[in-house]
Amino acid sequence: MSLVTDAFVSQIAAVEPWPENAALYQPLKSEQVLLSDNASCLAVQAFLKMCNLPVQVVCRANAEYMSPSGKVPFIHVGNQVISELGPIVQFVKAKGHSLSDGLDEVQRAEMKAYMELVNNMLLTAELYIQWCDEATLEEITQPRYSFPYSWPLNYFLVFQRKWEIKRKMKAIGWATKTLEQVFEDVDQCCQALSQRLGTQPYFFNKQPTELDALVFGHLFTILTTQLTNDELQEKVKNYSNLIAFCRRIEQHYFEDHDSSISSSTKLSKGPTLP
Amino acid sequence: MCLTGISGQMWANRSRVPSGTPMMELRCWGGDWGLPSVHPECLVVLAYARFAGAPLKVTPIDYTWASPKGTVPLLTSAGEDISQPANILNFLRKQKYNADYVLSAKEGSDTLAYIALLEEKLLPAVLHTFWVDTDNYCSVTRPWYASRTPFPLNYYLPGRMSRDALNRILVTKGQPPLYCLTEVEAQLYKDAKECLNLISNRLGTAQYFFGSTPTSLDAFVFGFLAPLYKAHLPKVNLQQHLKQLSNLCHFCDHILSTYFVSDDAGTSAAGQEAIDANLQKLTQLVNKESNLIEKMDDNLRRSPQNRPQKLSTLKPGGGAENTLSH
Repeated sequence: MSLVTDAFVSQIAAVEPWPENAALYQPLKSEQVLLSDNASCLAVQAFLKMCNLPVQVVCRANAEYMSPSGKVPFIHVGNQVISELGPIVQFVKAKGHSLSDGLDEVQRAEMKAYMELVNNMLLTAELYIQWCDEATLEEITQPRYSFPYSWPLNYFLVFQRKWEIKRKMKAIGWATKTLEQVFEDVDQCCQALSQRLGTQPYFFNKQPTELDALVFGHLFTILTTQLTNDELQEKVKNYSNLIAFCRRIEQHYFEDHDSSISSSTKLSKGPTLP
Repeated sequence: MCLTGISGQMWANRSRVPSGTPMMELRCWGGDWGLPSVHPECLVVLAYARFAGAPLKVTPIDYTWASPKGTVPLLTSAGEDISQPANILNFLRKQKYNADYVLSAKEGSDTLAYIALLEEKLLPAVLHTFWVDTDNYCSVTRPWYASRTPFPLNYYLPGRMSRDALNRILVTKGQPPLYCLTEVEAQLYKDAKECLNLISNRLGTAQYFFGSTPTSLDAFVFGFLAPLYKAHLPKVNLQQHLKQLSNLCHFCDHILSTYFVSDDAGTSAAGQEAIDANLQKLTQLVNKESNLIEKMDDNLRRSPQNRPQKLSTLKPGGGAENTLSH
């Protein structure tokens, strides 16, 4: 998105309130979605729930091709279509809902830094395991990714995506890493997150921010997804405060709906919703 | 103060001799523009080595093909080759050259996070500024690297580095299947400027990121920022933004003047350089030691049996005795 359209979008967004028929598009849950995509989708869902913005989740087999950036998830709000967490956070902020307004400059820098840590390590590790580990690729990624397509498209699309990811891994120097080194990186990242969280309920104490949504999306997905082996899960399970953190957000925002509404209304500073 | 100095020196000797570290040689791109190296990743390693007091034999390379995989910076120690800044820093830490031992667990996590921020948001724009932007590449980067590369390679190597940089930017920031640079550029610089602002806010008025001693995060920030700050570029988009953030500029200048004094004169005599490096290492150790003593003094003063002692003045002599007795 260019800067001009960026500014234009935020100007328009500020005028209109959040509509009731907002929709979030993501791949099919049980048959299609992959680890990394599921993490991103869950992060955006958690973020919107934390903002107390209602959104209808729509599963589509071709969500990836509907998205303006080619990445899932994306939201359809009024006349706007926005994909991925970063731009969605900006868009929602333009509408007057923000989770990070209460932070000072240093805390905001810290929040962005930890968000990049998650993207840099956890997301890249998920992509690596999905597409570069042969066992996972053959058993899980290939059948799931090619689920909606018939021969020969199923082979072609998997090949194309695999090639893209391998090119990316090569460019950032991950191509030479072994699976063991990748697990070590995940462990290092979890350790950093665990130490940063400490005994607080959220990363910046009592108020959840987009960082909490992002971390929840990734860790919860890793904890609840069955892969070819449990090694990735085990790395996260070593950190009890991270598990408690995931549990807390799950209960607060995904199970017990009444309490989530009452507590989130305190957080949203924008116009009250119908 | 004199006693502290001696004990610091003793400690230095004790720590250096028995460990018997084999010679460590670092191959990296040479210096210019008042910097010890013009290459960000080499600069990270050089800065960290100075912060930790690691004795490196620095060989500015002319022949990138002479290093096994053509990767720079490359640390060679006892026949072992280590590439990539993060791995080299880890290796140095294992050799007891640790600049991060003052950090708490949470600060260690912060270091990791900020390095990720730099790599994701700032590095792509720095690569673009030096290697992809046509004006800068043709008038500064290519001539510089070509002049340090021997004959047939000088036509090939800068071009390959430029293609690698472009590829990295497109693959990580572009959108498949049509990787288009113009769409990416605006976002790239916007992200980088935001990242510079965040780092500037984080640093504030402090001298280093975590207290009074430099750590790995300082090495990374310095390595990524200093070339951008010092290079004479025709296109100054990102550079101008950096120069407006005076605390980051001070930060770079301060590290250059404190840790890289001898290198300013260009290629000075190797002996003089080694003496300077040793002196710096020594002062650093003395500083660390006196910090330690201060802490111990504090602890002693707080402990009940030492109540009757004079509390107002800090006596380094007494402190040194305390360290020895512990």
